[in-house]
Amino acid sequence: MSRPNTGEIDPKDTARAEIRSYAIGFVASLLLTGGAFAVHLSGLSVSWKIALICAAALVQIVVHLRKFLHLSFSGEQSREDLLLVLFSVCLLAIMAGGTWYVMADLGERMHQSGMDGAPMHSMSAD
Amino acid sequence: MSRETSPIVGRLDWTVTPYTDLLREVNSSTIVGAGAASVLVLGAIAGVVLLTWKRWWAPLYRDWLTSADAKKIGIMYIALGLVMLARGIIEGFVMRAHQASALGTLAQPESGLVAPDHFAQLFSTHGTIMIFFVAMPLLIGLINFVLPQQLGARDMAFPVLNQISLGLTAVGAALVMISLLIGKFGTGGWTMYPPYTGIDFSPGEGVDYWLWAILISGVGSTLTGMNFAVTIFKERAPGMHFMRMPLFCWTSLCVAIMLIYAMPALTVSSGMLVLDRYLDFHFFTNDAGGNMMNYANIFWMFGHPEVYILILPAFGVFSEISSTFSGKRLYGYTSLVIASMSIAVISFTVWLHHFFTMGQSAGVNIAFGIATMIIGVPTGVKIYDWMATMWRGRVRITTPIVYLTGFFLLFVIGGLSGIILANPSIDYQVHNSTFLVAHFHNVIIPGVLYGMLAGIHYWFPKAFGYRLDETWGRRTAFLFVGGFVFTFLPLYVLGLMGMPRRSPTFQNPDFLPFMYIAAFGAVLMLCALAALIWTFWTSYRNRLSLAVPGGDPWNGATLEWSTPAPVPEWTFPRIPHVVARDDWGEAKRGEDPWKAPERYDDIEMPANTAHGLLIAGAAFAFAFAMVWHVWWLAILSFLALPGLLILRGMMVIEPRVISAAEVEEADRRFRHQVANLTPVTRADEETELNRGVPDVSEFAG
Repeated sequence: MSRPNTGEIDPKDTARAEIRSYAIGFVASLLLTGGAFAVHLSGLSVSWKIALICAAALVQIVVHLRKFLHLSFSGEQSREDLLLVLFSVCLLAIMAGGTWYVMADLGERMHQSGMDGAPMHSMSAD
Repeated sequence: MSRETSPIVGRLDWTVTPYTDLLREVNSSTIVGAGAASVLVLGAIAGVVLLTWKRWWAPLYRDWLTSADAKKIGIMYIALGLVMLARGIIEGFVMRAHQASALGTLAQPESGLVAPDHFAQLFSTHGTIMIFFVAMPLLIGLINFVLPQQLGARDMAFPVLNQISLGLTAVGAALVMISLLIGKFGTGGWTMYPPYTGIDFSPGEGVDYWLWAILISGVGSTLTGMNFAVTIFKERAPGMHFMRMPLFCWTSLCVAIMLIYAMPALTVSSGMLVLDRYLDFHFFTNDAGGNMMNYANIFWMFGHPEVYILILPAFGVFSEISSTFSGKRLYGYTSLVIASMSIAVISFTVWLHHFFTMGQSAGVNIAFGIATMIIGVPTGVKIYDWMATMWRGRVRITTPIVYLTGFFLLFVIGGLSGIILANPSIDYQVHNSTFLVAHFHNVIIPGVLYGMLAGIHYWFPKAFGYRLDETWGRRTAFLFVGGFVFTFLPLYVLGLMGMPRRSPTFQNPDFLPFMYIAAFGAVLMLCALAALIWTFWTSYRNRLSLAVPGGDPWNGATLEWSTPAPVPEWTFPRIPHVVARDDWGEAKRGEDPWKAPERYDDIEMPANTAHGLLIAGAAFAFAFAMVWHVWWLAILSFLALPGLLILRGMMVIEPRVISAAEVEEADRRFRHQVANLTPVTRADEETELNRGVPDVSEFAG
């Protein structure tokens, strides 16, 4: 019952190192979230804003997996972790790619311009 | 609908109960509404009185609600599912009774038992309840009960998380139940498509009840999925390689994977609709940049894997019972494993077939149509494997086998109509008709319901120590088969004749004979429900003659049959060392399978805790407050959730230790009892001779 649940947590590890790992993850996540808001409030062009926010989101995913979920490609769990990442990426690609495929097609048939079927009048309605 | 929102009680006032409607106008619809609310109130009062009179409050709290034992949590899930099943079947009956009396004329289109709005609430709650609060609790409960025992584990990987999952699922069910008495439920069907369910067209509390029930129980299901996955990856007994796991464990693994990846999509679509409704967002509105088509897209990204989440555990059950009751080894184990995993992955690629008619071009439809036809292949493989398992076996026609036979005959028809619907050009003709209703009931009832009831019948002795009455069990099974045939096969015909689904009325008198047949079928379904309840009751009364203390009433081959019935809290006195697939069957082929372990150790079990109960209480208060806009309560209970987590995080929690002496005493008593019971042959399995010790010499499978 007292076995660790992941290969990452070694009972011999000091609590200090573990807390530091969590703290780094927490601070990095805060910075990336705050950074995304800062980008939104900044005066950059829309395409730059979108690119930067997406990049921050992706980096944040990696931080969460690494620091909070103890995913690693070295150590006794590396094979399972790799499979998990590949499988997740595969399913997410199916979902995101499928959504893009379906919604773009619908948008085209609705004679909408813009990305993913966002209607043209989206800015003028309010 | 523009009521004042009070700062204290939100939008609640005395006019929200169905009794107000009854006082305002007495007709069959308001009588049905008030009657349902009264059943709920009287049922609750009767429950409280019974618990008080029998002094069951303390045992209920101590032994069940605060227990972190996966087996008890599983049983509670199943009890929840069966209670909700009763409501779902009664609602189905009311709907069939309504449609049998709903022939309108052009001059007077509305007629029938209930008002159109009431009918819409009925089909919305019926669908929501049957999917989320009957099928899901039944299968999650069964997996909770069976999975650790089959893997040779003592418990789930995260016992308290398990408790919280149960609590959150129960909160969702409670919200749907309380909508009978306080306010109304949504009328948008179980999928609640916007923009109809947006704040502009559905301003009341109904859609909010659905949203919060789904959001909260959805979190519970996601956590359950993680728990199952970690349990299967980390808690298997030594020697239990993946390819030695019983098939039920494999399908549980598939379910876990699908729960983890599919449930978040539902949480996202519901969360976006919540933002639309509460904070004036425009994800799914008609104007201001909203796109309601994306709701259908995200919802069904969850919705289609969900279908297989429901059916795969039933496939696992059928794999176990076809082997056990034929006295044969499961045919094509590897092909069944591959088929299950294929289904789990392919099920993520077909979601668009739920909205072929939404307007995308033919190329997109064809891509998903082909994927849909492909997923029929592994399912077909499975059917052949089970038939081959039973081929030339000495099949005992027990209750689970009756369900299995009904499944074979009916599920294949349902699957075939699914392949028909996978063709977009045919789907264009019959979509939104009762043909579709007939199709999905035709896979879900013979698939999921029969599978779960067969599983409950099969593992019941393991949980409570006595078998269920076979005669009444078979009667129930036959009634469910007959009820299904009469209720839903006419709907295929009606759909082809042009009867739309979810329609409160129709003007074509040609529909009426089929409506009467379907209504007769609904009566049979009610009888089946009554017979199911009677099966439990009569078995409870005859529990002494049906007792199977030996623990192996069906001469099974998997690990869970090696323990006493009812199974002790610690399940195994020592964690078994697995040497073969169907390890218990292998032990029976060797010498004395009931040999006692050489040594006993102290066993650590998770301590009882009220944590799950408190979390569930806070979640319920939060959801109810959000539905009725009682903001102070919503804020308080929302803050209570992280508060409770932090509080538990700061406590030192000691596991409960069961001493080696106690385990040894109980285990020796069991071994002694087994040695003194007369083994029973399979032919006498249904008689009183069956004390749970099978004739091992008969074990050839």
